[in-house]
Amino acid sequence: MRILFVNNDGAGFADYVTITEGTTVEQFFTIKMEGREPSDYLIRVNRQPVPKDYCLQEGDRVTITPTKIEGAACRLGQQTA
Amino acid sequence: MKNRNNSQKNQRPMLRFSPTAWAKLLFCRDMTETEVGGFGITQADDLLFVTDFALVKQKVTAVSVSFDDESVADFFEDQVAAGRRPEQFARIWLHTHPGNSPEPSMTDKATFTRVFGKCDWSVMCIVAQDGSSFARLRFNVGPGGETKIPVCLDYSCEFDAANFELWKQQYIANVAREEIFRPIDTKEKPVLVRQLSDDIFGEQIPAVSQQFASEDLLSQIDRMEPFERDIFMEELAIRSDFWDEESEVFYG
Repeated sequence: MRILFVNNDGAGFADYVTITEGTTVEQFFTIKMEGREPSDYLIRVNRQPVPKDYCLQEGDRVTITPTKIEGAACRLGQQTA
Repeated sequence: MKNRNNSQKNQRPMLRFSPTAWAKLLFCRDMTETEVGGFGITQADDLLFVTDFALVKQKVTAVSVSFDDESVADFFEDQVAAGRRPEQFARIWLHTHPGNSPEPSMTDKATFTRVFGKCDWSVMCIVAQDGSSFARLRFNVGPGGETKIPVCLDYSCEFDAANFELWKQQYIANVAREEIFRPIDTKEKPVLVRQLSDDIFGEQIPAVSQQFASEDLLSQIDRMEPFERDIFMEELAIRSDFWDEESEVFYG
């Protein structure tokens, strides 16, 4: 079955992928995001957070997006190089 | 339409802004005295030419900006639905510094590495209050590396007119000022910002985020995390309205 997968790592990806029936979102993450920590990402299916044992369904939209994007101004005297 | 010649294409990389995108970035920067951030939108065949500055929901202070994770995910979905690829909307991280230094802070650099470090390429661009800018291009293909690149406006393409009213609406809809400092007569308890169920897969966000709200100023400062204390002290130094109200000197 096919699902839409959106992810920014590597070359970036926003297209349909084929997965086997019964694949959970945890298994999918492990396959597609090898070596990455789930805690570094917001993982949603059809715009909703899901449990890790959620079985992906035909036509699902899976997004794996970065979290904690934050910036701060330099403090006086702070090293920036 | 583009009007670039071959010699321009062969020049070293530089981050270019359409006049409209640059104007929008400066407009948002000047809306308040806080930071503001977003993503640069580019065309598919010109990935270092920013044609729009896209905001996501964010909390800002005079010294920090923090994107809302769910809004970032919504942004990704909306951009894909609009037919763009991630490299067109998620590789150029833009934010402002209220002061006159566009140099990245330790937090900026840590975010750039943690969030964008696994992309094939990415750009961190910072624009300061005085118009000075900083941009760093990182690439992870081949041997990898990073380099500081120039920032410029490109007038060689057609560009849209400014739309201050629309930009203002977008700013108001997305940017929320978060007060680090509040007057000491505030009785509020620490705010529960967000709590996620343990069974949700993915990001684990600390359940409780404390904001300063107590009569006991020094003990509150003592209990802050070092990062919180740094931000608080920066805010304290910048907030001249506070000093005017109190007419006192704080000895740290």
